[in-house]
Amino acid sequence: MRGENQGKMAKQKLRGAEIVVEELKTEGAEVAFGIPGGALLDLYDVLYKEEAIRHILMRHEQCAAHAADGYARVSGKAGVCIATSGPGATNLVTGLANANMDSSSVVALTGQVPTSVIGTNAFQESSTFTITMPITKHNFLVKRTEDLPKVIHNAFYIANTGRKGVVLVDLPTDILAGEAKVDLHPKETFAGYKPNIKPNQVQIKRVVETLANAERPLILAGGGVISADAAVELRHLADFLGAPVVTTLMGKGAIPENHPFCLGMAGMHGQLYANRAINECDALLALGTRFSDRTTGWQLDQFAPDATLIHVDIDTAEINKNMQVDIPIVGDVKLALSGITKLLEKKRAKKSGSEWEKRIKKMHSACDSCVEEISREGASVSDILIKEISRILDDDAIVTTEVGQCQMFAAHYYMTKKPRTFISSGGLGTMGFGFPAAIGAKIAAPDKQVVDIAGDGSFLMTCQDMATCVENDIPVVVCLFDNRYLGMVRQFQELFFDKKYAQTGLGITPDFVKLAEAFGCYGERVEKPEDLKDALNNAFKSGKPAVLDMIVGKEDKVLPMIPPGGSITRMIGTERCKRI
Amino acid sequence: MSGMFTQRGINITSLTVSPCEKEGLSRMTVALEGSESELEMVRKQLSNLIEVVKVVDLKESEAIIRDLCLLKVHAKDSEARSEVMQLAESYGAKILDAALDSVTLELTEEPKKIDRFVDLMRHFGVKQLFRTGVTAIGIGAGG
Repeated sequence: MRGENQGKMAKQKLRGAEIVVEELKTEGAEVAFGIPGGALLDLYDVLYKEEAIRHILMRHEQCAAHAADGYARVSGKAGVCIATSGPGATNLVTGLANANMDSSSVVALTGQVPTSVIGTNAFQESSTFTITMPITKHNFLVKRTEDLPKVIHNAFYIANTGRKGVVLVDLPTDILAGEAKVDLHPKETFAGYKPNIKPNQVQIKRVVETLANAERPLILAGGGVISADAAVELRHLADFLGAPVVTTLMGKGAIPENHPFCLGMAGMHGQLYANRAINECDALLALGTRFSDRTTGWQLDQFAPDATLIHVDIDTAEINKNMQVDIPIVGDVKLALSGITKLLEKKRAKKSGSEWEKRIKKMHSACDSCVEEISREGASVSDILIKEISRILDDDAIVTTEVGQCQMFAAHYYMTKKPRTFISSGGLGTMGFGFPAAIGAKIAAPDKQVVDIAGDGSFLMTCQDMATCVENDIPVVVCLFDNRYLGMVRQFQELFFDKKYAQTGLGITPDFVKLAEAFGCYGERVEKPEDLKDALNNAFKSGKPAVLDMIVGKEDKVLPMIPPGGSITRMIGTERCKRI
Repeated sequence: MSGMFTQRGINITSLTVSPCEKEGLSRMTVALEGSESELEMVRKQLSNLIEVVKVVDLKESEAIIRDLCLLKVHAKDSEARSEVMQLAESYGAKILDAALDSVTLELTEEPKKIDRFVDLMRHFGVKQLFRTGVTAIGIGAGG
C-alpha cells in the first residue's frame, strides 16, 4: 500500500507484451535477433513502436540464436533471441544448445499457444518447455501475466551470473495479450540460486603454496577466463610466476598468443609444445575449463601425469567431473587469480630465469617458427591462408569460425591477441555457427573488422542470412575455405577408414561469388594465398557483407592431431615440427 | 529433475514427491546407489538446478527409511489364506481386504524388509504389487 503513494513504485496496469519489453529495457537489452509469428503478434506490436530495442529480422531461427550467442560472447552482455511457437522454437534448439554448451549468456523468448489449448496439439504447438529443459540453464513457461516482471528479471539474472548459460522464457499468447497490475523491475530471485562467486581463502593459500614450490608450473586457461574478464589478472600471474600458459579452444584470447609465455592451444588439434608442456609440468593451474576430451585426449592418466592439479571453476559440478584434481577452488576466476597473485607477491615468490622458463622460451620459438614458416604436413594452402588472415587483420578484429577443418586451422594458426575476439563453437561443434555469430559480433562491435572463417559445408547450412546482412547493413566478411568436402570427416576417413569417402564429397557446389552477388553481397574468388590481401581489402572497402571464395587443396589435412582414443603425448603428423 | 537424471545417465531406484512443512515448497526423495564420486556428482548437479533449494544426503545408516507396499496375494483355499494372514501379521502388515481367492495387504517398512516379505508372498503367487518408493527422515535432530 505504501508503494502506491510513491508514484514510481505504484503498480501499473500493462499488457503482458508491454511488461516483457519494459523489463528487457531495464535489463539493458539493446538488440534482439528474431523472427515474428502468429503467437508473437502482441510482442511485435509493442516492439513496432519501441525505439530502445533494435530488432534484427533473421532468416532462420537457428541463426537468431547463434547471433545472440555471438553478440553475448563479444559484448559480455546477454544476447536476446526471439522465435514463435512450434517450428520457430524448435529451430532455435540447436543454437541454444550451442550457446549453453559454451556457457554463453542468451535469453530466448518463444511464443506459445494460449494456455487454454496447451497440450491439445494446437496449430504450431510444440512443448518448448520440455524440449529445451536439458539444453538450457533454466527455462520458464509463464502461466500468469503478473509473473512476467519476475520471470524476465530472473531470466537475465540467471543467464548472466555464475556459470553463464541460456535461459528460455515460453510466452503463451494469452499471457502476452492479457493485462495485469504489476510492479516493474523486481529484485526477487530464487532461494535455491546462489552462484558461488567468492573463492575460499584456505584453498587459495594451498594453491599459492603449491605454485611457490613448483619447479615447472603451467597455466591452462579455458573459456571461463574470458567469460570472467580475467585476462589482465591471468597475464599478471603468468608474468609474476614465470609460468607458461596454454589454452583450450574456448580460452583462445585469454592471453595474447604472441606473448613469450603463451604456447597456444593444447589438445586434440593443439600445438605440439602446448601438449608437451602439459606433459612436463609439475603443477597445473586449470582456470575456467571443464577438461573436455578435446583438451585432455582420451587417456586421462597420461594428462599431466607428474603435476599437482589445481582447478578453479565457478561451477561446483565441474570439479572432479572429468579429472580428479588435488586442489579445487570453486568461484569466480578473476577473484581467484587476483587472490593468488596477491599472496604470491606477499611471499615474494617471484621466479624468473629458471630452467623451465628457458625451456618454455625454446618451445615458444619452436611453435612460432612452425606458425611462421613451416608448412605443416598435409596442408597445401589452408594453413598459409590462415597465417595471411592473421597478418592482415587488425589486432582487435573479431574472428568467428564455422566447424571442422577451417575451425581447427584457425585455432592452430590464427594469432588471437585479445579476449572476446575468437568466437567458435567449442562444445557442441555446430556447423553453420560462424556466419550468424559474426552477425551478432558485428552488431556488438560495429567498428571492428568481423571475419567468419568458414568451410563450404558449414556455410551452406546458414548462408541464407546474407539477406539479413544486406538488409540491415551488417558488413561481415566470410573467408570461405572451398574444398568441396566435409573436410574434417573426410580427413578422418582418409586417416582411419582407408580413404573411403562416404558422403563427404559435396559434388557440385554453388558458385559462391555469384551466390554472394545474388544476395547483394560483395563476392570475390581467391585462387592463390598471395591474392588474399587485396581481396580482403576489396571486401572491407566495398562496405558490404562479403564472401571470399578461397580455393584450397581438396585433401588438405589439419595436423598434428591426437587420433581418436589416443593420449595427449602421442600426436600424429608432427614429422615436420621443429625438434627441441 | 528426472530429466537431469536421464541427461546425466544416472539410474535411480525411486523418486517420490510430496508437500513439506514449508508452504510452496515440495520435498523430493530420491533413492539411488552409486560410488562416492557418482553420488557427489548427483549432489552437485541437483544443487545446480535453479529451483532446488537444498540437497541433503541421507546415508542408509543415518536415516529412517520407509517404503509403502500394497500387495494382492493369491489364496486358493482357506489354508493358504490363513497362512498368508499369519505371515502378514508377523511382518506387521495390515490386511486391507480379503476375498475367497485373494488377500490384499499393506506393509510400510524399510525397503529391504519389504523385499523379503514380497519374496515370501511369491510362494503363494502375487497378483498385483505396488510400491511408492522410499521416503526418509534423518535420525535425531539432524537430516
